[in-house]
Amino acid sequence: MTAGEPVLEVEDLRVRLRTPRGPADVVNGLSYTVGAGETVAVVGESGSGKSVSVLALLGLLPARVATVTGRALLQGEDLLTMAPDRLRQVRGAGAGMVFQDPMTSLNPVLTIGRQLVEGIRAHGDVSKADARSRAAELLREVGLPDPEGALDRYPHELSGGMRQRVVIAIALSNSPSLLIADEATTALDVTVQAQIIDLIEGLQDEHGTGVIWITHDLGVVAGIADRVLVMYGGRCVEDGTVDDVLERPAHPYTRGLLGSLPDLAAPVGPDGEVPELTAIPGLPPPPTDLPQGCVFWPRCPVRADPRCETEQPPLAVVSRAPAGGPAGATASGAYTGDGAGLPHRAATWCTEGVDGGSRG
Amino acid sequence: MFALVHLVPGDPVRLALGTRFSQESYDALRERSGLDQPLVEQFFTWFGRALTGDLGVSFRSGETVTSQIAERLPATLTLAFASILVALVIAIPLGTVSALRPRSIVDRVATVISQFGISVPDFWMGIVLILVFAGTLGWLPSGGYVPISEDPGAWLQRLLMPALVTGVVSGSVITRFVRSSMLEALGSDHVRTAQAKGLPTRQVFTWHVLRNALLPLVTVTGVQLAYLLSGVVVVEIVFSWPGLGQLALQAVQARDYPVLQGAILLFAVVFLVINLVVDLLYTAIDPRIRR
Repeated sequence: MTAGEPVLEVEDLRVRLRTPRGPADVVNGLSYTVGAGETVAVVGESGSGKSVSVLALLGLLPARVATVTGRALLQGEDLLTMAPDRLRQVRGAGAGMVFQDPMTSLNPVLTIGRQLVEGIRAHGDVSKADARSRAAELLREVGLPDPEGALDRYPHELSGGMRQRVVIAIALSNSPSLLIADEATTALDVTVQAQIIDLIEGLQDEHGTGVIWITHDLGVVAGIADRVLVMYGGRCVEDGTVDDVLERPAHPYTRGLLGSLPDLAAPVGPDGEVPELTAIPGLPPPPTDLPQGCVFWPRCPVRADPRCETEQPPLAVVSRAPAGGPAGATASGAYTGDGAGLPHRAATWCTEGVDGGSRG
Repeated sequence: MFALVHLVPGDPVRLALGTRFSQESYDALRERSGLDQPLVEQFFTWFGRALTGDLGVSFRSGETVTSQIAERLPATLTLAFASILVALVIAIPLGTVSALRPRSIVDRVATVISQFGISVPDFWMGIVLILVFAGTLGWLPSGGYVPISEDPGAWLQRLLMPALVTGVVSGSVITRFVRSSMLEALGSDHVRTAQAKGLPTRQVFTWHVLRNALLPLVTVTGVQLAYLLSGVVVVEIVFSWPGLGQLALQAVQARDYPVLQGAILLFAVVFLVINLVVDLLYTAIDPRIRR
């Protein structure tokens, strides 16, 4: 659980996309760190900039349309200013990535073995035979039955869960220090989801990999994450430990997200009717036209402060972690990585009614 | 098909005999060619013979239809394969370049070129080429066909212009397909996975983009080849190329039913064979279709 050395330090990451409807500010000043062996969950609705923010890190956005600024240090090296050839080496070897849909993220016309072997051989002078036995070993590690046989099979011959295991094997094939899982379990059914989460947790404990887990599933977050970062409109609106964010949400948006989860413990009505889910009305703001004040203002049920509409609230500490001790937050808000005392921060003017802490 | 051929107004016997003929010779020829029989009977007679490889005898020349087709076939095959070669040489690089830089200047230029190729009439392009290369410059003969076995140099000289014209037309169609299938392949998730693995760009392109973009390309190329093999009538006439298209046209003009039916039968067989080849190729390159 405790975070070691920071593997990834992201500072003021901004992504602007050129779209037919004008420039879209998809990510607006995102800062976070991921320590070795730590899992940071990034949550938010579709279109909140979660995926774009990680694709930008590895230079996987089309350069023609995307402008990425800020800093992203992977073990001290800035990914965003790196020479293309060095970036290619870092992809796979420094940071592995697992994508959302295992049905489409493998090449349908190449065998599983080939797809693993080419990844292994891209990062070292390995003979074909050695790479092949390493590939079989990886498939065994991710729990694929008959790993040797699977090498000669094509993706369509495997189930979705098995394919996702293959994608994980590919992502881990060069023992990266950072694993990015972009909605890695969203397309899978619940039991398979749990298996994949267990698998990644196990591998993470074994290799001390830092994990960025992108999801919109708060159930998954509670199960896997050490820290949570809530994204909305391309901004981090709240971050903190899992307990802080999920138990004592400070931002009206986070509260809305939690409120839209079905509560199985809620009393059932006299006719056996289930209480209705409270959805957040409206849609996220289009990134081509973000509100001037708080990004959540157009949908916010609270709007307790006049500044909500006009002034962007900064990401400020809401409470110190109950663990006590000196807070791990520096003046700039960057996490220093000493494990205890993770700050709980939220970007909102409305802090009334937040239990567990007040500002200042 | 058979019925359609016979529905075309005009009397083949009258056309075969010219302007002056006697009633006796008319009746004699009509009887000899079986045209006095009921249509249904004519069909079954023709069909039965066709099954044994006998396509009948031309009304006009008196030669067997099979020998007439066999005589024209080398010219048609030569032109069709040369054109498809030209088409692919144009289409693959042009389509790839536009897909790699969509909406760039290169893409726009490529679009204009392929639009031009699709919309400009082939006879016009043929005539312009003849005027320039055969007329003004005098580099190439204006038409005709020499078998490769007789004189490879002359064969190539006469092949260049017609192959270029039909190749540009087919190539323009194929370019659009290459562009769209390449764009689709480029945007697919597994290409992103390949990039995230840290593969070199060239490897990502050959094995993850090109390999997958090839699938639709095989289909269009097959369709274009079938079209070219069925004879490109206009181009054949412009370049006096003795192919099957010309043969079929002459047969229509003369109401030479046996030749026309033979040619149509051949075109149908060509389509079937090419479709079969395309399907077989598909199984070879796409593992999802195997078994």
